[in-house]
Order: sequence, then structure tokens, then C-alpha cells
Amino acid sequence: MSAARSLQLARQFAARRYFAVLILLAALFAYFSVTQERFLTSGNIDALITGSSILWMVAIGLTFVMLTGGFDLSLGSLLAMSGIAMGTFMNSWGVPLGFAIVMTLAFGLLVGSLVNGVLIGWAQLPFLVVTLGTLTLYSGIVSLWSDQATEPVESDALTGLAFNHALGLPVPAWIMIGVFLFALFVQRSTYFGRDVYAVGGSVEAARLSGVRVRRTLIAVYGIAGMLAALAAVMQVARIGAASPQVGGQVIFSAAAAVLLGGTSFAGGIGGVGGTVFGVLLLGTLENGLSVSGVAPYWQQIITGIILVSVVALDRIQQGGFRPTMRRLMRTSRGSPTPATE
Amino acid sequence: MAGAVLQARGIEKSYGPVKALRAVDFTLRGGEIHGLVGENGSGKSTLLKVLAGQLTADAGSVFLDDRAVRFTDPADAMAAGIATVTQETTLVPDLSVAENILLGPRKPRRWWGIDWRRTRQRAQEMLARLDLEIDPGVPAGSLRPEQQQMVEITRALSMDARVVILDEPTSSLPDDQVANLFEVVRALRDQGVAVAFVSHRFNEIFDLVDHVSVLRDGEMVGGGPVGEYDRARLVHQMIGRELEELSFEQRPAQDRDPVLRVRGFTLTGRIHGVDLSVERGQVVGLAGLVGSGRSTLLDGLFGLEPEALGSVEVDGAAGVAASPVAAMRRGFGYVPADRKRLGAVMDMSVRENLMMARTSQHSRIRRPQRARERDQCDRAIGDYRIVTPSADNAVKNLSGGNQQKVVLAKWVSTAPKVLLLDEPTRGVDVGAKAEIYKLLNKVKEEDVAILVSSSETAELQLLCDTILVMHRGRVAASLSREEATDARIAYYGMGHK
Repeated sequence: MSAARSLQLARQFAARRYFAVLILLAALFAYFSVTQERFLTSGNIDALITGSSILWMVAIGLTFVMLTGGFDLSLGSLLAMSGIAMGTFMNSWGVPLGFAIVMTLAFGLLVGSLVNGVLIGWAQLPFLVVTLGTLTLYSGIVSLWSDQATEPVESDALTGLAFNHALGLPVPAWIMIGVFLFALFVQRSTYFGRDVYAVGGSVEAARLSGVRVRRTLIAVYGIAGMLAALAAVMQVARIGAASPQVGGQVIFSAAAAVLLGGTSFAGGIGGVGGTVFGVLLLGTLENGLSVSGVAPYWQQIITGIILVSVVALDRIQQGGFRPTMRRLMRTSRGSPTPATE
Repeated sequence: MAGAVLQARGIEKSYGPVKALRAVDFTLRGGEIHGLVGENGSGKSTLLKVLAGQLTADAGSVFLDDRAVRFTDPADAMAAGIATVTQETTLVPDLSVAENILLGPRKPRRWWGIDWRRTRQRAQEMLARLDLEIDPGVPAGSLRPEQQQMVEITRALSMDARVVILDEPTSSLPDDQVANLFEVVRALRDQGVAVAFVSHRFNEIFDLVDHVSVLRDGEMVGGGPVGEYDRARLVHQMIGRELEELSFEQRPAQDRDPVLRVRGFTLTGRIHGVDLSVERGQVVGLAGLVGSGRSTLLDGLFGLEPEALGSVEVDGAAGVAASPVAAMRRGFGYVPADRKRLGAVMDMSVRENLMMARTSQHSRIRRPQRARERDQCDRAIGDYRIVTPSADNAVKNLSGGNQQKVVLAKWVSTAPKVLLLDEPTRGVDVGAKAEIYKLLNKVKEEDVAILVSSSETAELQLLCDTILVMHRGRVAASLSREEATDARIAYYGMGHK
């Protein structure tokens, strides 16, 4: 490869929206490695990766939804509901583990596509209203179904799914890599992936070009539901129980990860490639701060500051920041500003 | 004559690589109606938007009463006494006509707040000045397009502005309202107001304005008192050459079954029993005012209006398409007028846009074949002379003309039997316009039936074998190319029988 070509590739990479996040991730990683001797141990890196696995799944699913210009507030409570479903499949119905996992994934897929997907894609109701409604609805169902009690799910194979190693990496890491590569493939190398971007870029232009917008939306909410269910499986495996208490805050962290990864609320721009960096940044921050013995609320404070700064930085890069500031800061509308010459 | 009120000097403005204005000087004097003419894309609207504070120039200065000003916001310009009417409607549809006319802080107040009774009264008076019978209490969105345009004009005139900018205010107005408007504009001039006026209709320019300026490709190429101009000289300055006879071979009417045959096409309240037919390799034009139903008819044929009634036959197979997908299956392609919202997905690449329609019916879990796509895109980029650094460049980075070529190529690649086009050269520069015409001629030679709607009469006269003039959702007249003079099209378009 010629030097000029490498330089061009490097420039293209630097122009990616998640570039700042990548730099920040590297800096944080280096900082914790140097200051905390317990950070860069294999045990802790395993904990960092497995600790991020639930956010990873939800954020990748949410990326597809946000690429179409939508949002799904209900993913956290769908996660909890899928966990309870899995507990029921295994404990009450006696379904063997493999089938129980497949049934849980199918449960998430069906609930996501048939409830949110149909209401938003087919009936064209506003996504915030629909998913706010289903968020509340699923939480209620979770309490009713579980009797608000955590039920142990005992299976050695399931525990192994969360804590065993294979080929030098923890099993959750392999699942995360698999899901990521599959999502990347779907996003970049299928016609469906193009539809997702087309719908997010301009619903009307996509529709006029023959793209089946409704099907695309139903599929996208189904995928998000299925990945929330996969997150539920990992959650049940980690804590060895189906708990109604999980999933509460995950949607906000997932939204932060997706935004940090360069996917915008408006849709049509970004992708799962950036999202995983957002997840790793949040995961590193959480892990590193807890290793450093910093109180957990500092993590929230720092995450908030990073999220707003990265989005502001992105705006500045696009050149849209200063005019906005000027408009916001000007107190008196009306008198023309004399030109400075 | 009074002195210069608003003056622009050395204005430069670029949109990406496209230079919209190059070192343009422009002066509006009090008590004078200044006509600004030029082809679409020559920079008229850009210049007026800079004066009205809707755009910021890259270079150059604007002077108000010899004092340099820089407007960063339309409100700045408004407060300085510059009122504007643009082609796009800026009314708030859910607010009443009165609120729209006295938008913002101009509503009469009393100590406890807005005085709604006097607001209504004031609006009523303004409307009466223009002889308009519009109830100031109804929501602006409920008015017909031409009434909305008049409300927009009323608002501009009600501002007691020192400068009034009218950018194609007459494009959707019926004759009698144009006459009322002109009367009011003349009255304003006599009070010493400076008026800028843009129109594509030469008779309006010669009828109304005192002074004329000509823009071509972003440069001010001429100007002077309107008395020094006649039509030929004006056209010559506008296009920079004698009007070239770009002519298209006309297909003799052939005695065979048409590809597209529409009978009694109806959309309740909007389109009333339209009949038309288009033969293989024939171009049929739709003329008529904005709001006459031209675009709605095309939308309906392409399946965007599910409640459409009537019969639409393509190659003998009857049925009304209920969705774009159904319309595509029946052999339709549609190049819509709103390129940025409907024509292409701006954030996606040229390749993805070119492929979007022709691959839209493939299995969604299939993998696009990169090598074959690259070949097809390279060929389209070559054939259509699309200027882009690569097929992976986002469409939003292309000039308007090249964007339009992408949309056209996207549809031609689906091998349609019937190609529908709405305003195929809107917002496209002069060079690209001629290229698009040549491309359409090629499409026509491939035996595609073409139905094109346009508000530019000259475009229809150039392209079409037959021109249908629409008025209020009906076909008012069907004219052959020889019969279709400007006067006849305008006459039927106004609703005369």
C-alpha cells in the first residue's frame, strides 16, 4: 500500500464519528492500566468483558432501531420479561437448557416484532408513545408473572455459559464477538441492512423506491427484542436466577453507548461498528472506577459529562455548533448586528 | 428618484463546489420596482435570501441606507424593515390567518396581553386592501394554496416595510389576484417603498417593473431601465446566446394500443375523472398552475394515494396500484419533484441510491453483489455523466443536477414501461438541464412511455408530443405541440373554457 493511500485511509478513519470515543477509550484504558495494578490482570479484563455483555447485546439491538430513526424504551423491561420467561420454561415446564434458550430468543423476537414492530411499523404510531407504553406494560407483566420474587435457575451448563473459558477467552466474549460480527454482516452486506439506512435517511424516498418500510421496521424491533432476550439469557446465567429486578437502567446506558458510537437520533447515520466502542468505553469506565475504589455515582457523573461532550464535539466538527450557540446566546432579537469591518 | 435603500456589493455564495453567486452588485432604490430575472439556478433566490437574512454570504457586504449590516437571522432583516415573500410557504398551518399575518410581536397588545379583537380587525383591514375574501379567523392550513400565497403577501405588505422582496409571488395566483397584487405593489412604490420582484412571466416584468437586472450562472450580466429592453434582448442576456432550437423528433401518432391508458381516474375532492393515454416512446406533458392536481395525479398513478378510483391500464393489464411496490411491479417509475425528501436518500451513496429501486424486490437477506453493482454503477455514471468522485460518495455532496441524474438513472435502470416525472429540472443549473433533456430523449427512444409534469411551459413545449393542461383536478385541454402556445396553456390553466 502506498503512503498516500495509507494517509487517505487514516484520514477517512479519523473522520468517523466515533473517532473521539476510540481515542478516549484508549486513553482511559492506558490510564487505568498505569494507575491501578489490579486493572490489567486477566481476571479483571474477563470481568470487564463479561460485565459489558448485557449492555453489548441491548446496544447492538438498539442501534438497528435508532438507524431507522426510531427508539425503543421498552428493551430493559423486555429483558426482564424474557428472563422471567426463561425461568418459567426451565423450572415450571422442565424444558432442557438448549431449547429454553431458543424459546427465550423466539419470545423476545416475537414480542419485539409483534407488539412494538406492528404498532410502530404497520400501524405507524409514534415510537416514543408506543415504547413508553410497552415499557410500563412489560414491567407490570414482569411483577405479575414473577410474583416479584427472584427464582433460582439451576443448571451447571448455564453457569458455564457465563463463567467458563474457551480458547483463552470467556464464553460471553465469544458470544459477544459472534453477535457483533453477525450484526455487522447484516448491516453492511444484506439488502435488509441497506433498507435500515434508507428508512432512517428518508422514509418517503425509501418507500417511493419500493423499499417495504413496514416490514423493515417490524424486523428492526424484532431484532432489538431478540437481542434483549439474549441479554436476558446472559443475565440469568450470570446471577443463576430469573429476577424481576434487572434491566431497569440498561436502556439509558445503551442509548448513551449508541450515541457515543456515532449513530444519531435522526437515523440513517452510524452503525454497530461504533456502538461497540461506546459499550467498551462505558464498560471500561465502570470497571476502572470500581477497581480504583471510586463510588459508583461518580461513574454516572462522568458518563453524563462524556456523553454531552462527545455529542458537542461532533457538532463542532460538523460546523453546526457556533451558529446554534449564537442563536441561543443572543438575548435581544431584532436589532441587526452591525458588520465588523 | 430616491436614493439607494438596500444595496449589495460583491456578494459571493457557494454551495459546496457550486458557485451560486459571483461578485454580485444589486441596488434597490426607494420608489422603484426592481425586476430580477434569470433562469432557474441563476442565483436569483440566493441573492434575495442573502438580502433577507435567510442566508449568509461568503463574501461581500449588504448596506442599508449606506450603513453596512450583517443579518444573521430573518428576524434581523424583518426588524430592519425588509419584508419577504418566497416561493415556499412560511405560514404556520395551525394558526389563524390573522395570527399569521401579524405573526410574532406585531399583534396589538393591552396591558394584560394580546388584544385578539384588534388583531383580527387589523388583519381584516389588510386583507381588504388586497380585495381578498378570506376569513381571518380560519386556520391558514385550511386555505387553498393560492389563498395561502395571498395571505403570505398580505403579511409582507402589512409590515410597513421599507423594502419588500417578492420572489415569484405570482406563480400560483389566478389572473385577477395578480392584478390586485400589482395595484398594491404600485401603491407601495408611490409611497417610496423599494420593491424587488421576481417572475418567470415576461409580460409581468414588462407590465410592472421600472428597472430590471439580469442574473446568469451567478453573475450579474446586465440591467437598466425596463424601457431599454425588449423580450428578445432580455432572453439573450438571460441565457447568454440566441435561444437555441433544441428540438426533439416528434413521434407521429401511431395507431396502436397505448402503453398507459387511464380512464376516469379520481381522487375524491382532488382529481376528477382524468382520462389520458401515452404511447410507446411518446412524451405527454402535464401543464397547469401549482395546485391544479398535476403532482397529485402522478402520486396517484404511482400508488401513493390508496383511495384512488378509476382504471389504469398498463399494456392492457388493468388495475389501480395501491402502493409504490405495486406500481413498480406494473412497470411504473417515478421521479418526484422533491428530490431531497423523496427522490434520493441524501446520506446514502450514489451506488446505494442507484441500486435502491431495482434491487428493492430482491430477497432482503441476500447479499448485494459488489462486483456486478460496481460495473452497473460505473456504466450509469458514465452514461448519465454524473459528476462524482466515486460511486461511494454520498448523494448530498453532489450538485442538484447530478442528484437529479442519479434519481433518473435509478428509475431507468428498472426498465420501466411508464416513466412519471414531476418537475424534472427544478433547481437544476442550465447545463445539467440540457443534459437531462437529452437523457429523456434517449429514454424515449427506448420506447418508454413518459408522462411529465412541469410548471415551465418552455420545458413542456420542448419535450412533449402532447400537452394536457390541468385545472382544479381536471384535464382542461389537450394540445398538440403545435397548438401549445404560452397563451393557450395559460388560458386553459386559469380555468377558461
